[in-house]
Amino acid sequence: MKVSWKPYILTLIVLLIGFPFIFMVLLSFSSSWRFPDILPGYFGLKNWVTILGSETGLLQSFIISVVISLSVGMVSTFSGFLISRAVFYHKRRRILTLFAYFPYVLAPVVFGACLSFFFLKIGLFGNVTGVIVAQFLVAFPYALIFFGSFWNKKIKSYEDLVATLGGTPRQTFFKVLLPLAKSMLLICFFQTFLISWFEYGLTSIIGVGKVQTLTIKVFLFIKEANYYYGALSCCLLIFPPVVLLYFNKRYVFKNLV
Amino acid sequence: MLIGVVPFFAAFIYALGYSFGVMGVLNNGFTTRFWESVFASGEFLKSFGYSAAIALVSLVLSIGGALWVTLKFRRELDKKFLSFMMYLPLAIPGVVAGFFMIQLFSKAGFFARIAFQLGLIEKTAQFPDLVNDSLAFGIIVAFITMLIPFFTLLFLNVYKNERIEELSILAHALGANANQVTRRVFLPIILKKTGVLIALYFIFLLGAYEVPLILGQESPQMLSVLIIRETRQFDLSKISEGYVVAVMYTLVVSITVILLFLPKRKKAIYES
Repeated sequence: MKVSWKPYILTLIVLLIGFPFIFMVLLSFSSSWRFPDILPGYFGLKNWVTILGSETGLLQSFIISVVISLSVGMVSTFSGFLISRAVFYHKRRRILTLFAYFPYVLAPVVFGACLSFFFLKIGLFGNVTGVIVAQFLVAFPYALIFFGSFWNKKIKSYEDLVATLGGTPRQTFFKVLLPLAKSMLLICFFQTFLISWFEYGLTSIIGVGKVQTLTIKVFLFIKEANYYYGALSCCLLIFPPVVLLYFNKRYVFKNLV
Repeated sequence: MLIGVVPFFAAFIYALGYSFGVMGVLNNGFTTRFWESVFASGEFLKSFGYSAAIALVSLVLSIGGALWVTLKFRRELDKKFLSFMMYLPLAIPGVVAGFFMIQLFSKAGFFARIAFQLGLIEKTAQFPDLVNDSLAFGIIVAFITMLIPFFTLLFLNVYKNERIEELSILAHALGANANQVTRRVFLPIILKKTGVLIALYFIFLLGAYEVPLILGQESPQMLSVLIIRETRQFDLSKISEGYVVAVMYTLVVSITVILLFLPKRKKAIYES
């Protein structure tokens, strides 16, 4: 009888995917893990209890990250949705869409380095508002490109039909367009939230170390060689997206291609 | 549109002005010496070649791996648990991937401990350089672990949307063998449908920052790391050279985007 190798490979794939998550959680509970020990000298809740104190400011970083990402996600999604409509109905829409790709594909950290002068001049350097604005400049083109696939002849026909039946533009927007775009708005919000949540380079340039989001904290702990707190910050950084992905996964890739 | 376009052009003009000495703290007029200096040192070309090589190797290996997983496990990956598992790596940002690679591959990391317990090494120095190394092993592994799940999900989706299963059955019915179906049906459709996205990912990897910052070496550095190192340094007279590299990088990226997304004119076949 021929033995199938597929279950073994699949088990290996699952283990490889789960390994970073398990490793990070274990490392976040550890302390005094010196070379060449395979197991840590201390294993317990000590590091996690510290989060509740103010020693490392991790809880504060978590809250700052949530506030920044929610703001960027919401503002980018709604402005992207509204403006993508105007772009789609514009006679030069392909050129306009092309322009949207420039800030989207440029490395955010390089974009930030070149923009930092302007942020300094308008007083948005080293504060949360500046970081939100900077991240918005990266997330907004993404939203604009994302909604490009929503506007099509069918949607335009719906709009025309509502207008023919006496509907106002306001009614068209709230009673037709918003319900139709509901799932795409949700996906776009998740995506832009994640763009902001994972952002490091731009935040480090515009925040100049004063706005300490979780990604900034992870990097600080790496530089300090404090791997236990680093792992703890990593856990705080990766588990909210896991929850989001769980709710999001049914939609994300259906609209990608 | 102004929200997206104006900051980009403002940033570019500022960088351009700085690179020609028109703007900046110690600059006092138009000069091309910063450009000459960058070209003379050859650092940009070295960094560009290094970044492109890393991006290309990572992309080729990731796409190869993802194609293999798609081809062999597409039915199994439809199951709820496995499908969710494939999405999990998308929750890992670059900074965490870099941190994880250090934990695994550094001289006192997870694999070094196992090598010690197995008697393969006696001290940390004997463990090979797998992070901050000249071959960018750590960077490439980090990129691959981030990209394979993404491309697998993408290819699985194209496989369904383009009805490759039905086309493969048809090809088999017409006498094609499994190898021919893969080479003539599966690969061309998948790669054609995802070509633009693959090109975009090459650009993203070219400008990657967090992973090479954590896992890269001092020289050569990947482009973004080099640009930030040069534009943020204490020697103010050298900052302009950083902006020269930033301008060149922006031009390369912009030209690629134009080539990829510029509306193509259809041939006027009815013109006389």
